[in-house]
Amino acid sequence: MTDPFDALHLPVRPVDPDPAFAARLRARLADAVLAPDRGDMTSTETKLSTLTPYLAVTDARAAIEFYTEVFGAVRQGEPIVVDDGRVGHAELVFGGSVVMLSEEFPEVGHLAPVGTHPSYRIEVADLDGVVRRAVERGAELLRPVADSPHGRGGTVLDPFGHRWLVAEAAPQPQSGPAPRHGELGYHTFQVPDAEAAKSFYGAVLGWRFTPGRVQEGWRIDGAGTMAGLWGGQEQVGWKLMYAVRDLDAALAEVVGRGGTAGPVEREDYGLTAECTDDQGIGFWLWQA
Amino acid sequence: MHPDPAFALLEVYDAALPQVYGYLLARCGDRAHAEELTSETFLAAVQGCRDGGPVSPAWLIGIARHKLVDHWRRKERETRGLRLAYQEERVDDPWDEEVDALHAREVLAALTPDHRCALTLRYLDGLPVPEVARHLGRTVHATESLLARARAAFRRAYTGGPR
Repeated sequence: MTDPFDALHLPVRPVDPDPAFAARLRARLADAVLAPDRGDMTSTETKLSTLTPYLAVTDARAAIEFYTEVFGAVRQGEPIVVDDGRVGHAELVFGGSVVMLSEEFPEVGHLAPVGTHPSYRIEVADLDGVVRRAVERGAELLRPVADSPHGRGGTVLDPFGHRWLVAEAAPQPQSGPAPRHGELGYHTFQVPDAEAAKSFYGAVLGWRFTPGRVQEGWRIDGAGTMAGLWGGQEQVGWKLMYAVRDLDAALAEVVGRGGTAGPVEREDYGLTAECTDDQGIGFWLWQA
Repeated sequence: MHPDPAFALLEVYDAALPQVYGYLLARCGDRAHAEELTSETFLAAVQGCRDGGPVSPAWLIGIARHKLVDHWRRKERETRGLRLAYQEERVDDPWDEEVDALHAREVLAALTPDHRCALTLRYLDGLPVPEVARHLGRTVHATESLLARARAAFRRAYTGGPR
Protein backbone atom coordinates (compact mmCIF):
# COMPACT_ATOMS: atom_id res chain seq x y z
CA MET A 1 0.00 0.00 0.00
CA THR A 2 1.46 3.34 -0.93
CA ASP A 3 1.29 6.23 1.45
CA PRO A 4 0.12 9.45 -0.24
CA PHE A 5 2.65 11.26 1.91
CA ASP A 6 5.42 9.47 0.00
CA ALA A 7 4.74 11.96 -2.81
CA LEU A 8 6.43 14.56 -0.63
CA HIS A 9 9.82 12.89 -1.01
CA LEU A 10 12.33 15.51 -2.06
CA PRO A 11 15.80 14.42 -3.20
CA VAL A 12 18.60 16.93 -2.75
CA ARG A 13 18.79 19.19 -5.80
CA PRO A 14 21.82 21.49 -5.87
CA VAL A 15 21.01 25.20 -6.05
CA ASP A 16 23.70 27.82 -6.55
CA PRO A 17 23.35 30.50 -3.88
CA ASP A 18 23.95 34.18 -4.44
CA PRO A 19 27.65 34.48 -5.40
CA ALA A 20 28.17 37.30 -2.91
CA PHE A 21 26.84 35.08 -0.13
CA ALA A 22 29.04 32.19 -1.30
CA ALA A 23 32.13 34.41 -1.20
CA ARG A 24 31.30 35.82 2.24
CA LEU A 25 30.78 32.36 3.67
CA ARG A 26 34.01 31.09 2.13
CA ALA A 27 35.91 33.93 3.84
CA ARG A 28 34.25 33.18 7.21
CA LEU A 29 35.01 29.51 6.77
CA ALA A 30 38.68 30.21 5.97
CA ASP A 31 38.89 32.34 9.13
CA ALA A 32 37.37 29.57 11.21
CA VAL A 33 39.69 26.95 9.74
CA LEU A 34 42.80 29.06 10.34
CA ALA A 35 41.79 30.19 13.81
CA PRO A 36 43.11 28.21 16.75
CA ASP A 37 41.24 24.98 17.33
CA ARG A 38 39.10 26.22 20.14
CA GLY A 39 35.53 25.69 19.09
CA ASP A 40 33.53 23.25 21.16
CA MET A 41 35.76 22.19 24.01
CA THR A 42 35.40 18.54 24.68
CA SER A 43 35.39 17.43 28.28
CA THR A 44 38.82 15.90 27.99
CA GLU A 45 40.42 19.20 27.02
CA THR A 46 42.19 21.28 29.60
CA LYS A 47 40.38 24.59 29.83
CA LEU A 48 42.29 27.80 29.64
CA SER A 49 42.94 29.50 32.94
CA THR A 50 43.13 33.26 33.40
CA LEU A 51 46.69 33.54 32.14
CA THR A 52 48.21 31.48 29.35
CA PRO A 53 51.80 31.94 28.13
CA TYR A 54 52.14 32.09 24.34
CA LEU A 55 55.69 31.13 23.41
CA ALA A 56 57.44 32.11 20.20
CA VAL A 57 60.00 29.53 19.09
CA THR A 58 62.18 29.13 16.03
CA ASP A 59 61.44 25.43 15.62
CA ALA A 60 58.04 24.40 16.96
CA ARG A 61 58.45 20.71 16.19
CA ALA A 62 61.70 20.54 18.18
CA ALA A 63 60.18 22.62 20.98
CA ILE A 64 57.11 20.37 21.25
CA GLU A 65 59.38 17.34 21.42
CA PHE A 66 61.56 18.99 24.07
CA TYR A 67 58.64 20.03 26.27
CA THR A 68 56.90 16.67 26.02
CA GLU A 69 60.07 14.69 26.72
CA VAL A 70 61.45 16.88 29.47
CA PHE A 71 58.37 18.14 31.29
CA GLY A 72 55.91 15.45 30.33
CA ALA A 73 53.73 18.02 28.55
CA VAL A 74 50.89 16.56 26.51
CA ARG A 75 49.79 17.90 23.17
CA GLN A 76 46.27 19.28 23.05
CA GLY A 77 44.75 19.08 19.59
CA GLU A 78 46.80 18.94 16.44
CA PRO A 79 49.25 21.75 15.71
CA ILE A 80 48.00 24.03 12.97
CA VAL A 81 50.34 24.25 10.02
CA VAL A 82 49.90 27.28 7.79
CA ASP A 83 50.36 27.34 4.02
CA ASP A 84 54.10 28.07 4.06
CA GLY A 85 54.77 25.16 6.44
CA ARG A 86 55.22 27.19 9.60
CA VAL A 87 53.52 25.92 12.74
CA GLY A 88 50.96 28.64 13.31
CA HIS A 89 49.57 27.35 16.59
CA ALA A 90 50.10 24.47 18.97
CA GLU A 91 48.98 23.77 22.51
CA LEU A 92 50.67 21.77 25.22
CA VAL A 93 49.26 20.88 28.61
CA PHE A 94 51.75 21.10 31.46
CA GLY A 95 50.03 19.47 34.43
CA GLY A 96 46.85 21.54 34.70
CA SER A 97 48.00 24.50 32.60
CA VAL A 98 47.86 25.13 28.88
CA VAL A 99 50.82 26.71 27.11
CA MET A 100 50.43 27.89 23.52
CA LEU A 101 53.26 28.25 21.10
CA SER A 102 53.94 28.99 17.49
CA GLU A 103 56.87 29.67 15.21
CA GLU A 104 58.00 33.20 14.52
CA PHE A 105 55.68 35.59 12.69
CA PRO A 106 57.81 38.73 12.28
CA GLU A 107 54.94 40.38 10.38
CA VAL A 108 53.02 40.65 13.67
CA GLY A 109 56.05 41.05 15.94
CA HIS A 110 55.85 37.49 17.28
CA LEU A 111 59.56 36.68 17.72
CA ALA A 112 61.52 34.08 19.64
CA PRO A 113 63.56 35.59 22.49
CA VAL A 114 67.13 36.58 21.63
CA GLY A 115 69.43 38.09 24.26
CA THR A 116 66.59 38.17 26.78
CA HIS A 117 64.98 35.21 28.45
CA PRO A 118 61.40 35.16 29.67
CA SER A 119 60.95 33.00 32.77
CA TYR A 120 58.29 30.50 33.73
CA ARG A 121 58.00 28.70 37.05
CA ILE A 122 56.92 25.08 36.81
CA GLU A 123 56.24 22.51 39.52
CA VAL A 124 57.15 18.89 38.82
CA ALA A 125 57.02 15.69 40.83
CA ASP A 126 60.39 14.50 39.58
CA LEU A 127 62.62 17.56 39.91
CA ASP A 128 65.98 15.87 39.41
CA GLY A 129 64.76 13.85 36.44
CA VAL A 130 63.30 16.91 34.71
CA VAL A 131 66.47 18.97 35.12
CA ARG A 132 68.65 16.04 34.01
CA ARG A 133 66.54 15.40 30.90
CA ALA A 134 66.51 19.11 30.06
CA VAL A 135 70.31 19.30 30.12
CA GLU A 136 70.63 16.05 28.15
CA ARG A 137 68.44 17.58 25.47
CA GLY A 138 70.47 20.75 25.12
CA ALA A 139 69.24 23.09 27.85
CA GLU A 140 71.78 25.20 29.69
CA LEU A 141 71.89 24.65 33.46
CA LEU A 142 71.64 28.12 34.97
CA ARG A 143 71.18 27.01 38.58
CA PRO A 144 71.68 23.41 39.72
CA VAL A 145 69.04 21.76 41.87
CA ALA A 146 69.39 22.98 45.44
CA ASP A 147 67.36 23.65 48.55
CA SER A 148 66.25 27.21 49.05
CA PRO A 149 63.96 28.96 51.50
CA HIS A 150 61.26 28.53 48.84
CA GLY A 151 61.80 24.76 48.52
CA ARG A 152 63.98 22.64 46.24
CA GLY A 153 64.46 23.82 42.69
CA GLY A 154 66.77 24.48 39.77
CA THR A 155 66.80 26.69 36.68
CA VAL A 156 67.41 25.76 33.06
CA LEU A 157 67.50 27.76 29.83
CA ASP A 158 65.91 25.69 27.09
CA PRO A 159 67.32 25.57 23.53
CA PHE A 160 64.60 28.01 22.40
CA GLY A 161 65.57 30.84 24.75
CA HIS A 162 62.95 30.30 27.44
CA ARG A 163 64.01 30.04 31.09
CA TRP A 164 62.32 27.56 33.40
CA LEU A 165 62.40 27.83 37.19
CA VAL A 166 61.79 24.18 38.01
CA ALA A 167 60.38 23.60 41.47
CA GLU A 168 59.62 20.40 43.30
CA ALA A 169 55.88 19.91 43.66
CA ALA A 170 54.57 19.28 47.14
CA PRO A 171 53.62 15.62 47.54
CA GLN A 172 50.09 14.87 46.39
CA PRO A 173 47.81 14.83 49.40
CA GLN A 174 46.49 11.34 49.94
CA SER A 175 42.81 11.44 49.15
CA GLY A 176 40.69 9.62 51.69
CA PRO A 177 41.94 7.27 54.37
CA ALA A 178 44.88 4.99 53.62
CA PRO A 179 43.85 1.61 52.21
CA ARG A 180 43.24 -1.13 54.76
CA HIS A 181 44.60 -4.66 54.65
CA GLY A 182 43.58 -6.32 51.39
CA GLU A 183 42.55 -3.13 49.61
CA LEU A 184 44.05 -1.77 46.42
CA GLY A 185 46.73 0.79 47.16
CA TYR A 186 48.11 1.66 43.74
CA HIS A 187 47.50 0.76 40.09
CA THR A 188 50.31 0.52 37.57
CA PHE A 189 49.46 0.35 33.91
CA GLN A 190 52.32 -1.56 32.29
CA VAL A 191 52.81 -1.06 28.56
CA PRO A 192 55.52 -1.76 26.01
CA ASP A 193 55.68 1.89 24.88
CA ALA A 194 54.93 4.68 27.36
CA GLU A 195 54.81 7.44 24.73
CA ALA A 196 52.26 5.59 22.63
CA ALA A 197 50.11 4.93 25.71
CA LYS A 198 50.36 8.58 26.79
CA SER A 199 49.11 9.90 23.51
CA PHE A 200 46.44 7.22 23.15
CA TYR A 201 44.94 7.45 26.64
CA GLY A 202 45.58 11.17 26.84
CA ALA A 203 43.36 11.56 23.78
CA VAL A 204 40.72 8.97 24.62
CA LEU A 205 40.37 9.46 28.39
CA GLY A 206 41.95 12.86 28.95
CA TRP A 207 44.56 11.49 31.33
CA ARG A 208 47.50 13.73 32.06
CA PHE A 209 50.95 12.50 32.91
CA THR A 210 53.72 13.85 35.07
CA PRO A 211 57.15 12.25 35.18
CA GLY A 212 57.36 9.58 37.85
CA ARG A 213 60.16 8.24 39.96
CA VAL A 214 61.41 5.49 37.63
CA GLN A 215 62.70 5.42 34.06
CA GLU A 216 59.69 5.47 31.68
CA GLY A 217 57.40 5.84 34.67
CA TRP A 218 54.64 8.47 34.71
CA ARG A 219 52.05 9.43 37.26
CA ILE A 220 48.54 9.33 35.80
CA ASP A 221 46.20 12.17 36.72
CA GLY A 222 42.57 11.70 35.84
CA ALA A 223 42.17 7.93 36.32
CA GLY A 224 40.20 8.54 39.52
CA THR A 225 42.63 6.51 41.59
CA MET A 226 46.30 6.47 42.48
CA ALA A 227 47.78 5.21 39.26
CA GLY A 228 50.93 5.21 37.19
CA LEU A 229 52.04 4.30 33.69
CA TRP A 230 55.19 2.26 33.21
CA GLY A 231 56.70 1.75 29.77
CA GLY A 232 59.11 -0.91 28.58
CA GLN A 233 57.37 -3.69 30.48
CA GLU A 234 56.90 -7.27 29.40
CA GLN A 235 53.87 -8.08 31.52
CA VAL A 236 51.31 -5.85 29.82
CA GLY A 237 48.16 -4.58 31.51
CA TRP A 238 47.24 -3.30 34.94
CA LYS A 239 49.47 -4.51 37.74
CA LEU A 240 48.09 -3.91 41.18
CA MET A 241 49.53 -3.11 44.57
CA TYR A 242 47.62 -4.38 47.59
CA ALA A 243 47.93 -2.97 51.07
CA VAL A 244 48.81 -5.39 53.86
CA ARG A 245 49.07 -4.93 57.63
CA ASP A 246 52.26 -6.93 58.03
CA LEU A 247 54.43 -7.33 54.95
CA ASP A 248 56.68 -10.08 56.34
CA ALA A 249 53.72 -12.22 57.36
CA ALA A 250 52.05 -11.68 53.98
CA LEU A 251 55.22 -12.62 52.07
CA ALA A 252 55.53 -15.82 54.09
CA GLU A 253 51.94 -16.67 53.16
CA VAL A 254 52.65 -15.92 49.47
CA VAL A 255 55.58 -18.32 49.42
CA GLY A 256 53.74 -20.94 51.49
CA ARG A 257 50.88 -20.89 48.92
CA GLY A 258 53.18 -21.48 45.95
CA GLY A 259 53.77 -17.87 44.93
CA THR A 260 57.06 -16.01 44.75
CA ALA A 261 58.14 -13.01 46.81
CA GLY A 262 60.82 -10.54 45.79
CA PRO A 263 63.04 -8.58 48.19
CA VAL A 264 61.47 -5.98 50.45
CA GLU A 265 62.17 -2.45 49.22
CA ARG A 266 61.95 0.64 51.37
CA GLU A 267 60.20 3.54 49.59
CA ASP A 268 59.21 6.88 51.05
CA TYR A 269 55.59 5.70 51.09
CA GLY A 270 56.37 2.44 52.94
CA LEU A 271 57.70 -1.08 52.40
CA THR A 272 56.93 -2.95 49.19
CA ALA A 273 57.73 -6.29 47.60
CA GLU A 274 57.09 -7.56 44.09
CA CYS A 275 55.36 -10.95 44.07
CA THR A 276 53.69 -13.44 41.80
CA ASP A 277 50.79 -15.65 42.79
CA ASP A 278 50.70 -19.43 42.35
CA GLN A 279 49.43 -18.94 38.76
CA GLY A 280 52.27 -16.61 37.82
CA ILE A 281 50.34 -13.32 37.96
CA GLY A 282 52.47 -10.45 39.18
CA PHE A 283 51.47 -7.96 41.90
CA TRP A 284 52.97 -5.87 44.62
CA LEU A 285 52.37 -5.89 48.34
CA TRP A 286 52.67 -2.71 50.32
CA GLN A 287 52.86 -1.95 54.00
CA ALA A 288 52.37 1.74 54.72
CA MET B 1 52.28 16.49 12.72
CA HIS B 2 49.41 16.82 10.25
CA PRO B 3 47.85 19.86 8.69
CA ASP B 4 44.53 20.84 10.22
CA PRO B 5 41.90 18.41 8.86
CA ALA B 6 39.51 21.34 8.51
CA PHE B 7 41.44 22.41 5.39
CA ALA B 8 39.56 19.62 3.62
CA LEU B 9 36.42 21.67 4.11
CA LEU B 10 37.79 24.53 2.03
CA GLU B 11 38.63 22.05 -0.71
CA VAL B 12 35.10 20.65 -0.98
CA TYR B 13 33.41 24.00 -0.39
CA ASP B 14 32.64 24.88 -4.02
CA ALA B 15 31.20 21.45 -4.79
CA ALA B 16 29.28 21.03 -1.54
CA LEU B 17 27.82 24.53 -1.18
CA PRO B 18 25.04 24.15 -3.84
CA GLN B 19 24.08 20.78 -2.33
CA VAL B 20 23.77 22.07 1.20
CA TYR B 21 22.09 25.30 0.11
CA GLY B 22 19.74 23.41 -2.25
CA TYR B 23 18.75 21.00 0.52
CA LEU B 24 18.01 23.80 2.97
CA LEU B 25 16.29 26.17 0.51
CA ALA B 26 13.83 23.48 -0.62
CA ARG B 27 12.91 22.75 2.99
CA CYS B 28 12.82 26.07 4.74
CA GLY B 29 11.49 27.90 1.71
CA ASP B 30 13.10 31.30 2.02
CA ARG B 31 16.47 32.52 0.98
CA ALA B 32 17.42 34.41 4.15
CA HIS B 33 16.89 31.39 6.38
CA ALA B 34 18.56 29.06 3.89
CA GLU B 35 21.66 31.29 3.82
CA GLU B 36 21.75 31.55 7.60
CA LEU B 37 21.46 27.80 8.08
CA THR B 38 24.00 27.13 5.32
CA SER B 39 26.49 29.34 7.17
CA GLU B 40 25.76 27.59 10.45
CA THR B 41 26.26 24.22 8.77
CA PHE B 42 29.69 24.98 7.32
CA LEU B 43 30.97 26.70 10.46
CA ALA B 44 29.84 23.78 12.62
CA ALA B 45 31.60 21.44 10.20
CA VAL B 46 34.99 23.01 11.06
CA GLN B 47 34.94 21.47 14.52
CA GLY B 48 33.29 18.35 13.12
CA CYS B 49 36.27 17.80 10.79
CA ARG B 50 38.70 18.18 13.66
CA ASP B 51 36.73 15.58 15.56
CA GLY B 52 37.23 13.19 12.67
CA GLY B 53 34.08 13.79 10.62
CA PRO B 54 34.24 12.35 7.08
CA VAL B 55 34.12 15.45 4.91
CA SER B 56 31.56 14.71 2.17
CA PRO B 57 28.38 16.33 0.85
CA ALA B 58 26.26 13.64 2.57
CA TRP B 59 27.96 14.35 5.91
CA LEU B 60 27.40 18.09 5.46
CA ILE B 61 23.72 17.51 4.66
CA GLY B 62 23.47 15.54 7.90
CA ILE B 63 24.76 18.62 9.74
CA ALA B 64 22.38 20.81 7.73
CA ARG B 65 19.47 18.59 8.83
CA HIS B 66 20.45 19.14 12.48
CA LYS B 67 20.57 22.88 11.91
CA LEU B 68 17.15 22.77 10.26
CA VAL B 69 15.67 20.87 13.20
CA ASP B 70 17.23 23.37 15.63
CA HIS B 71 15.78 26.23 13.58
CA TRP B 72 12.26 24.81 13.71
CA ARG B 73 12.62 24.09 17.42
CA ARG B 74 13.44 27.75 18.04
CA LYS B 75 10.45 28.80 15.97
CA GLU B 76 8.22 26.31 17.74
CA ARG B 77 9.23 27.76 21.12
CA GLU B 78 8.50 31.26 19.86
CA THR B 79 5.05 30.43 18.56
CA ARG B 80 3.88 27.86 21.08
CA GLY B 81 2.54 30.49 23.47
CA LEU B 82 0.14 31.71 20.79
CA ARG B 83 -1.43 28.29 20.40
CA LEU B 84 -1.79 27.20 23.99
CA ALA B 85 -5.56 27.20 24.04
CA TYR B 86 -5.82 25.38 20.74
CA GLN B 87 -6.27 21.63 21.08
CA GLU B 88 -5.87 19.67 17.90
CA GLU B 89 -8.13 16.75 17.22
CA ARG B 90 -6.29 13.52 16.63
CA VAL B 91 -7.51 11.86 13.47
CA ASP B 92 -5.48 9.75 11.12
CA ASP B 93 -7.86 7.73 8.95
CA PRO B 94 -6.76 6.35 5.62
CA TRP B 95 -6.38 9.04 3.03
CA ASP B 96 -5.82 8.15 -0.61
CA GLU B 97 -5.87 11.52 -2.25
CA GLU B 98 -3.03 12.09 -4.66
CA VAL B 99 -0.73 14.70 -3.19
CA ASP B 100 0.36 17.47 -5.51
CA ALA B 101 3.95 18.30 -4.64
CA LEU B 102 3.73 22.00 -5.42
CA HIS B 103 0.60 22.58 -3.39
CA ALA B 104 2.10 20.40 -0.66
CA ARG B 105 5.06 22.79 -0.27
CA GLU B 106 2.71 25.70 0.33
CA VAL B 107 0.71 23.68 2.82
CA LEU B 108 3.86 22.60 4.66
CA ALA B 109 5.03 26.19 4.92
CA ALA B 110 1.78 27.12 6.64
CA LEU B 111 2.00 24.39 9.31
CA THR B 112 3.38 24.92 12.80
CA PRO B 113 7.19 24.47 13.02
CA ASP B 114 6.99 21.17 14.92
CA HIS B 115 4.59 19.62 12.38
CA ARG B 116 6.60 20.94 9.48
CA CYS B 117 9.80 19.57 11.01
CA ALA B 118 8.36 16.10 11.64
CA LEU B 119 6.87 15.79 8.15
CA THR B 120 10.05 17.07 6.50
CA LEU B 121 12.27 14.54 8.24
CA ARG B 122 9.84 11.65 7.70
CA TYR B 123 8.64 12.32 4.16
CA LEU B 124 10.80 14.88 2.34
CA ASP B 125 14.04 13.35 3.65
CA GLY B 126 12.52 9.85 3.85
CA LEU B 127 13.97 9.01 7.28
CA PRO B 128 12.52 6.04 9.17
CA VAL B 129 10.52 6.92 12.30
CA PRO B 130 13.23 5.90 14.83
CA GLU B 131 15.66 8.20 12.99
CA VAL B 132 13.14 11.04 13.10
CA ALA B 133 12.72 10.39 16.83
CA ARG B 134 16.46 10.65 17.35
CA HIS B 135 16.61 14.00 15.55
CA LEU B 136 13.72 15.36 17.58
CA GLY B 137 15.00 13.99 20.89
CA ARG B 138 11.66 12.21 21.46
CA THR B 139 10.69 8.60 21.99
CA VAL B 140 9.50 6.61 18.98
CA HIS B 141 6.02 6.49 20.48
CA ALA B 142 5.88 10.26 21.00
CA THR B 143 7.22 10.75 17.48
CA GLU B 144 4.54 8.52 16.01
CA SER B 145 1.79 10.53 17.67
CA LEU B 146 3.43 13.80 16.63
CA LEU B 147 3.53 12.49 13.05
CA ALA B 148 -0.12 11.48 13.28
CA ARG B 149 -1.11 14.97 14.43
CA ALA B 150 1.14 16.52 11.77
CA ARG B 151 -0.47 14.40 9.01
CA ALA B 152 -3.91 15.37 10.24
CA ALA B 153 -3.00 19.05 10.25
CA PHE B 154 -1.49 18.70 6.80
CA ARG B 155 -4.62 17.06 5.44
CA ARG B 156 -6.90 19.69 6.90
CA ALA B 157 -4.81 22.44 5.35
CA TYR B 158 -4.37 20.56 2.08
CA THR B 159 -8.07 19.99 1.58
CA GLY B 160 -8.82 23.55 2.56
CA GLY B 161 -10.45 22.77 5.89
CA PRO B 162 -9.82 24.68 9.12
CA ARG B 163 -6.53 23.90 10.84
